Amino acid sequence: MNRSGTVLALLAALATTPSSAQTPQVQTPFLQAFLFGDAQYSEQEGTVNDGFRLGQMVAHGNASLSERVVFFGELSISARSSGYSLAMERAIIRYEFSDRLKVSAGRYHTPVSHWNTEYHHGLWLQGSVARPEAIKFGSSYIPVHFVGAMVEGNLQGLPLYYGVGVGNGRGDNIAAAGDVGDVNARSAFVASASIRPRSLFGFRVGGAVYVDRISVGGVDLADELITSAHIVWKRGPVDAVAEFINVAHEPVAGGPSESSPAYYVHFGYRLSGDASDVMPYMRYEDMDISPGDVVFTGLLGDYAAFIAGVRYDFDDLAALKLEYRSEEFGAGPRVDAFYAQASFAIPVAGGS
Amino acid sequence: MTTIVVRGVRRVCIFAVLIGVLLPVMSEPASGQDIAVAIVVHPQTQVDNLSFEELKRIFRGDRQFWEDGRRVTLLVRAPVAEERQLILDRIYEMDENQFREYWIGKMFRAEVAAGPKLVYSADMARELVTVIPGAITFVPVSEVSSDSKVVRIDGRLPGDVGYPLSGGT
Repeated sequence: MNRSGTVLALLAALATTPSSAQTPQVQTPFLQAFLFGDAQYSEQEGTVNDGFRLGQMVAHGNASLSERVVFFGELSISARSSGYSLAMERAIIRYEFSDRLKVSAGRYHTPVSHWNTEYHHGLWLQGSVARPEAIKFGSSYIPVHFVGAMVEGNLQGLPLYYGVGVGNGRGDNIAAAGDVGDVNARSAFVASASIRPRSLFGFRVGGAVYVDRISVGGVDLADELITSAHIVWKRGPVDAVAEFINVAHEPVAGGPSESSPAYYVHFGYRLSGDASDVMPYMRYEDMDISPGDVVFTGLLGDYAAFIAGVRYDFDDLAALKLEYRSEEFGAGPRVDAFYAQASFAIPVAGGS
Repeated sequence: MTTIVVRGVRRVCIFAVLIGVLLPVMSEPASGQDIAVAIVVHPQTQVDNLSFEELKRIFRGDRQFWEDGRRVTLLVRAPVAEERQLILDRIYEMDENQFREYWIGKMFRAEVAAGPKLVYSADMARELVTVIPGAITFVPVSEVSSDSKVVRIDGRLPGDVGYPLSGGT
């Protein structure tokens, strides 16, 4: 059995198919779980924190509680200067009426950005070392996490996928979700949609809208409107994504609305034949923070980067990524950086 | 705002040209099998015919429920089976690595509650599809038994001209 065969046999053990000698039902509750992790080495001009770093260790589980009720959970352990922190990244309980209608509640990755919902904390799945700056975890630019309820589905007659949600919005720390309740009287709303033509598998185009009121320290700061659009071609050897996001803040106290746009274009291409384990990639990203933004002032600055890298899948579930970045922070000079990252995914046996 | 958009459009155009140059060299998946496979469903599943596009949606996990509300259970042969290769080529349009990454990604994105369940022989596929409500699988035509419920694809059965899951078509 080749490498793929070994891994798939392991995956098969997860997807425990009842043998003919067992009960002829799909067993519920049924759990499938994965561990993701990474280790990284970085060298960046002008910084003192270069060197090795243990990335997030992520445990992810899917549990079918019954034919229609499913639970998704994602826990992470992150290295901090003071030790390690444990976080519940996603926890979603969902009732699936049909393909058209799925109702859920919990903690999500906000569907306001394609990358934010396509790739999560396990870095093995994504092509590059890190997320685009605008979407990175811990950034204040968009609310990466969302606590609330969602209605999702796809319309069978049309290649349309939709999601509509209501939740707490940003927390008192605007980089964090409102995990323990809304910090103001206004709920956050998010709506997303994408079109995935059946005749063009791998292509999708879509967008999202997010509205909320941001309050810090009990003071209402601004009404937030986030809009985004993306176009994706992911098929065969090609992994191409372009996304544009605009965050607008209108001060509650009065004054003009300020817009801070960002975008990235990511392109990866897996080589063929004997080099099929190798995927070169590049990305350009740009984030332009309005200097008059009442929310972002002091928190975020302009950013631009050109990124070029190579992903080498040295095993079925492990990859080495080497990445060069030329980054520009605010009005400062361009800074060169080099990253090496080993990431992996481990299927963890589960069952009822 | 205007500056970043103009600057961005120029850079996006450069990337678009690059992508346009590279896309045509995408390799098409090989499909040189001499095998034909039949699509078999649980006997009580209320479907006799599926369009090829709908079949792709089902096997790709984009459609997870039958019209009667029963959840679809995918039974897929383990690697190296010839019929699996045909399905990967014609339905998934992926190789083994892409297939694995596709399902791990789907589970990690919470798009599906579970990936396909692997079976290790045509006998096992044929037996399980008759006992798991909502199950769907594929078996070589030569392994179809008289009690198997075979679904037409675009109105065609294995052996018919234009049947999409025959080697060489």
